[in-house]
Amino acid sequence: MGEGKILDIAHVSFLDMIKVMITMSGAAAAKGTLIRNALNTAEKIKEVEYASFNDFLAAIENASNPITMVEGKSTHIGDFVFGLQACPFGPSIKNYTSVFETLPDGYADFTEEFNKPGMITNKYRVGEGAGVSPFCSVHQPLRSAVAEKIKIGGKKIEIYQLGCKAGSGKKGFADKWIAETGVAREVVDKVLDNHMCCYFLKILN
Amino acid sequence: MDSKEPLKKVLIVDDEEDMIWSLQKSLNNENLQVDITIASSGEDALKVLAVKPIDLVVTDIKMPGISGIDLLMRIRNRYPNTGVVVMTAFPSPEHKNEALAHGSLHYLEKPFDINELRRVIKEALAHDDLFKGTVSGIELSDIIQINCLSKSSTTLRVKTSSGREGRVYFNSGAIIHAECGSLAPEEAFYDILTFKGGMIECISTKALPKRTIEKDTEALLLEGMARLDELKAIEQDKKALGTPKVEMKVQNTDQDGDNKNEEEIMNGLKNLLAEFTNLPGVNTACLVGRDGFLLDSIAIAGTDSEMIGAIASSGFGASESMGNQLQKGGLTMTMIEYEQGPVMLAPIGREAFLVVVADKEANLGMIRLKIKKHAGEIEKTASI
Repeated sequence: MGEGKILDIAHVSFLDMIKVMITMSGAAAAKGTLIRNALNTAEKIKEVEYASFNDFLAAIENASNPITMVEGKSTHIGDFVFGLQACPFGPSIKNYTSVFETLPDGYADFTEEFNKPGMITNKYRVGEGAGVSPFCSVHQPLRSAVAEKIKIGGKKIEIYQLGCKAGSGKKGFADKWIAETGVAREVVDKVLDNHMCCYFLKILN
Repeated sequence: MDSKEPLKKVLIVDDEEDMIWSLQKSLNNENLQVDITIASSGEDALKVLAVKPIDLVVTDIKMPGISGIDLLMRIRNRYPNTGVVVMTAFPSPEHKNEALAHGSLHYLEKPFDINELRRVIKEALAHDDLFKGTVSGIELSDIIQINCLSKSSTTLRVKTSSGREGRVYFNSGAIIHAECGSLAPEEAFYDILTFKGGMIECISTKALPKRTIEKDTEALLLEGMARLDELKAIEQDKKALGTPKVEMKVQNTDQDGDNKNEEEIMNGLKNLLAEFTNLPGVNTACLVGRDGFLLDSIAIAGTDSEMIGAIASSGFGASESMGNQLQKGGLTMTMIEYEQGPVMLAPIGREAFLVVVADKEANLGMIRLKIKKHAGEIEKTASI
């Protein structure tokens, strides 16, 4: 086994564990478990308040922003649309597929399940086509739930997942959230050309 | 046989004198020592029975006057401790079924080997050595289960005080046939289970009718008991109508709270969930998404419905996955029994399932009935 074929067993265990969950309890229950897991993680994040949107952006740059803490640095494209350069699960997927070539069976069913309209994805404004892998069911609700801990200028914020890109380059669009935010689909498409994830931040009145 | 014991008394009934003579002459030997009496008609046989205790009657069917079947029926009614074996030179499935249904221990087709008759008589008299008597205060279902567990081959004759009568046939403990009025065998069995009070008679028999009930006996019993529970529950429910339920905490998973239509939906769901929590012994009913997130619930104080939903989704999913693996088709309902009572899970449409948490005293049949009755309505109301 060459150097590039060394498995990170923490990653492998997690990826295979998802497969086991799908086999044992079905895609829907597995999805729920991962989302609950994400929400529990978000619950541990401390509340934070920024005086202005610029302060919020500055916190992304210095990696003190809670959203940055869970997913890495994102870029403000403009008009509250953000792009995330690297998927936080990218290294895990890359490591796994470098040895096993393909992701475990059942992942497609899981992704389809995540994209179905549902109470919890509706609540956190995720899925609806923006899921491109089972990891999106962890990442997207986690970001939305973490955002609930953030205030800008004393106002709560909400995150809308607009789209996502798989490692293969295949893009997923959440047309429901795109329509609700009024962001042009073309903008999302363009953001995903250079980013893995695209979301919208709304400051509530 | 112990030589000190009195000889068993056997009455042979046939209108053919040659047959009677032949049987009387050849039956007794060192292996079968019995006291044989003869009668040339059913009427004569009844006269003998009236004055002499008889252990076993071997009777022809086709006789002038009282037929062998009529004689059999009269003996079963008047002399329940007397065994009967029926024989005929004109065998037919109908005759056989009729004879067995009325408690004939064996059905012999003429001509038969005399050794075969000796064996049959020996077996029938051995049956006579079993305990006899009256047992009261026992459920019919218990008797049925005893027959199953003891791997009996027997006919269970059940007669209610109002005159309804049914028979359940066991072969090596398996329920193979049942009769009750004009009902199909399986339905006859379920119907017999609903009989309330009366007399039960177990008739040992070697000649059994053809198997008509193919369903596994355990499944048959479970279904029968569930139906019985449902019936009892309906009666209880009628009595319990209007009984208020106390100390209920309503948990509502409110998403926006400002949508009137959503509020109407939730109220509709609450009413449907209350159909369950209003049942005696049911304390919690939750509608849960397949992903384990709670859609709505009515729960007793102290119950964490969110947690129930999360955990139950794994159980529900696991049950469903097992069904898929075993190619058992879609899951219709599953029940997990705990020391303090059961939890029942049932799918609601393709996206949700119902969780009903009950005490051990709860009527499971009634819960099942309610699930069957309201599942579609819940799906429609919740738009899932």
